[in-house]
Amino acid sequence: MEDRQERDLGTQGDDTGSSLGRRSPSLFLQLPSNQTLRFRGNKAEAWGAALEGAAEPPEDARELVPPSVVGEEEEDRKPLRELPLCLEEKRELRLLQEQAASRLSGWHLWRAGKRRTLRQLRSQAGAVMSYAVMWKSTLRHIEGHFGTGIQSYFSFLRFLVLMNFVASLLVVAFVVAPNAAFEALHLNWTRHTSNTSANASCLHYDPTSHGLISYFSYIMDLLSGKGFMELTYLFYGYYQNSAVDFASFSYNVPLAYLLTGFFYLLFCLIWIVHRSVYCLKHSLVSEDTSFGSYSNKVFAGWDFGLMQTSAVQLKHKSICYDLRMDLEEEAFRRRLAEQTTKQRAFLYILRGLLNILVLGLLGAGFFCIYLATEYSQWLLGSVDSPIKGQVTLELLGAYLPSVVITIANLLLPIIFGVIVQLEKYPLSFEIKITLLRNVFLRLASLVVLLISLWSQITCDGDPQHPDCKDCGYSHLFLCWETSVGQEMYKLLIFDLLIMLLVMLFVEFPRKMLVTYLPSCPLLKLWGQQEFMVPSNVLDLVYGQTLCWTGALFCPLLPVLNTLKYILVFYLKKLTLYANCRPADRTFRASSSNFFFLLVLLLGLTISCVPALYSMFVLPPSKACGPFRGEPTMWNTVSSAISELHPTTQGFLEFVGSLAFAVPLFLLLSILMFYLVALAGTYSSVVKSLKAQLQLEGQDKLFLVKQISELSQ
Amino acid sequence: MGGSGSHLPRDLLSEYQELTFLSKQEILLAHRRFSELLPKEERDRALLTRLPRRTMLLLPELRANPFGARICQVFSTAADGEGGLSFEDFLDLLSVFSEAASAELKSHYAFRIFDFDDDGTLDKKDLEQLVNCLTGEGEHSRLSPVEMEQLIQNILEESDIDKDGTINLSEFQHIISRSPDFPSSFKIVL
Repeated sequence: MEDRQERDLGTQGDDTGSSLGRRSPSLFLQLPSNQTLRFRGNKAEAWGAALEGAAEPPEDARELVPPSVVGEEEEDRKPLRELPLCLEEKRELRLLQEQAASRLSGWHLWRAGKRRTLRQLRSQAGAVMSYAVMWKSTLRHIEGHFGTGIQSYFSFLRFLVLMNFVASLLVVAFVVAPNAAFEALHLNWTRHTSNTSANASCLHYDPTSHGLISYFSYIMDLLSGKGFMELTYLFYGYYQNSAVDFASFSYNVPLAYLLTGFFYLLFCLIWIVHRSVYCLKHSLVSEDTSFGSYSNKVFAGWDFGLMQTSAVQLKHKSICYDLRMDLEEEAFRRRLAEQTTKQRAFLYILRGLLNILVLGLLGAGFFCIYLATEYSQWLLGSVDSPIKGQVTLELLGAYLPSVVITIANLLLPIIFGVIVQLEKYPLSFEIKITLLRNVFLRLASLVVLLISLWSQITCDGDPQHPDCKDCGYSHLFLCWETSVGQEMYKLLIFDLLIMLLVMLFVEFPRKMLVTYLPSCPLLKLWGQQEFMVPSNVLDLVYGQTLCWTGALFCPLLPVLNTLKYILVFYLKKLTLYANCRPADRTFRASSSNFFFLLVLLLGLTISCVPALYSMFVLPPSKACGPFRGEPTMWNTVSSAISELHPTTQGFLEFVGSLAFAVPLFLLLSILMFYLVALAGTYSSVVKSLKAQLQLEGQDKLFLVKQISELSQ
Repeated sequence: MGGSGSHLPRDLLSEYQELTFLSKQEILLAHRRFSELLPKEERDRALLTRLPRRTMLLLPELRANPFGARICQVFSTAADGEGGLSFEDFLDLLSVFSEAASAELKSHYAFRIFDFDDDGTLDKKDLEQLVNCLTGEGEHSRLSPVEMEQLIQNILEESDIDKDGTINLSEFQHIISRSPDFPSSFKIVL
């Protein structure tokens, strides 16, 4: 009611305003608010004075300039390039500024000069740094041809490549290179043996197969990470539990291994959080949920970088489609709100049932993955398995979990897409819930795989099980960390392989069929490939989660991941240019950027859990690896700390204890509550200011009307 | 690309660098592209010539842009108001549309570009013309009058804070500041 009244007043005001504008332009133009509007740079005509009898444009640039520009202190002044003036007027302003500056005395002059030099240095450094940005021209080309939505995928991929590269440098520098160097230099290795009595059967682990080795088995070993691959720096099992002495410095290999793994995860966390801070600032600032979606689409909707006529035509179509969809959705929402209670109840029951169906499908998928992992391990490990000795079947058995996960990830999203059509959600919510379900599917399948591995390694958590009684872990897995590393390695390779196969056997043929047989109705229905950004980004996040999970057990995995992502970049670029047409519906890059980083953080959290669990709870293998002989992996760190200076020791113990953690937690909670209250206050202040502005606008129109009536 | 084609005096170059957001390479590239639009005899006097609007619209960056004519109009300092651009106007254009320009500056110029009747506010006619530019000239891609009316009503409801039926500069800048897409889409790079 109130809104409508206000709108009527507004439109009334608009009519009177515009008609008044025609009658008394000079009055409006002399208002102070209009003066600031005219502070711009067109020498020809004072902007806003396109009406007859307008005020004379001021001759001097000085009149247009608010005093803040030619101020005393240089910090208060905006840099000249940020002023909305034409170049000529900026030049005149600079002369004025220099005249003012020349009146400054000694120290101020020196300071102003130094500040100017610093600015120039900074701009030069920025120019140099821009050369170092990887793939800049490629991304710009993609942006010009396919829009910012698809470009956001490639810039996300570039970010992942950089992060993996720096992380792999970290790992290589602290874990692989020292070990390789020490071995090459034949330095003195002092063993860290602890005197725990261990069952003899747990101590011997020999991954190489003896006797006649066929050539084919080398390829098998390369693909599955067994055999000769286990005796390289790739896997955990190869590292020694010893320290190396050289030049009065002792390099503790197990400590370095553990701390590097820990700092690798921490480093990735900090970088992702730093990058998502920008996206977060934009997504959370808006008070209302819609945040001006129509205005945003109309005012910021045009991509000024587009140059090709075809791209421009497509953009026209997509904007039109977008606006029409939004208007239809609004009409749909209005219709939905007018539904009877019976219809609404029916819809909610339908939605509930479909959600239960979705959960059921997910559960079935997870159960299949669990069964597949167990069967695969039984096939490969047990003595009486039927496929021992037959290499192809062994390879298939090794990759069985990966195959099942991939099938589930291909089929279930299609089913979800069909289900979500029936649920009749509004469009924006539909996209979000589909993305959410796919994310859940992908990450949870990985979790199920890890859980099934865990249950086999620790005999379902039962240390008294006959298999686990001897060593503390299952005797089928004498070097269990390497087995976990191998699973992650296989998944990584399989991921890349699937991407290659899909590209070769689905995308290229599709493009060729559509180009050479345009008349076939079935092909016309299927159409040309569209580059789907959300599913591609989820693939990347899945791959990165695999890398994080396996990094503790397979130290060279970040290196492999970097190479894999570089390959993915070029392959995806190839398929984009060769096979894909730009999407009909524009993909909103900005709001989803934050969502993708959030999913990446979720992946990082999930991958931290196995690492932390193995570090603190599970007993490391006694037969291999840098922690053989220790009760837990963390023991290395605690024994290293106990060798430090007592004050440092005391400090570290205090930081790790509850006496520090609980007050810190309380302090952070208080800070959070304070900030939430502050945000609430700001929100109500903004509302009251808006209402005040409205009243002021009406006052202004009323007064101008009175003045013009009186002056006639 | 012969001798005097891409030559700019050094003090002029450093002045341009200080007064715009462009780097040295970008200014030299702009000079080269601007000279290429001139006939061969006049290339030496590139800094003094003013190109008419239809020549500027031959640039590939502006040719296909539905706002090309408006952009030339806004950045032009020609006394006749026909939209011809001199080299310094061209530099201003590139500076505002560059990647380094601040969002506030971009939103100021975006407002001027969208203000088709140059009266200092965006009223219903301006918005209608803007939407038609966005959706293109084809018959099928224009919105129906009912849809247009509904759309403009929605936009005014979201952006018009003082409810006077028009959107002025501060309201426009306020609504644009909350759009994270704007700086990256309001960009032209040679």
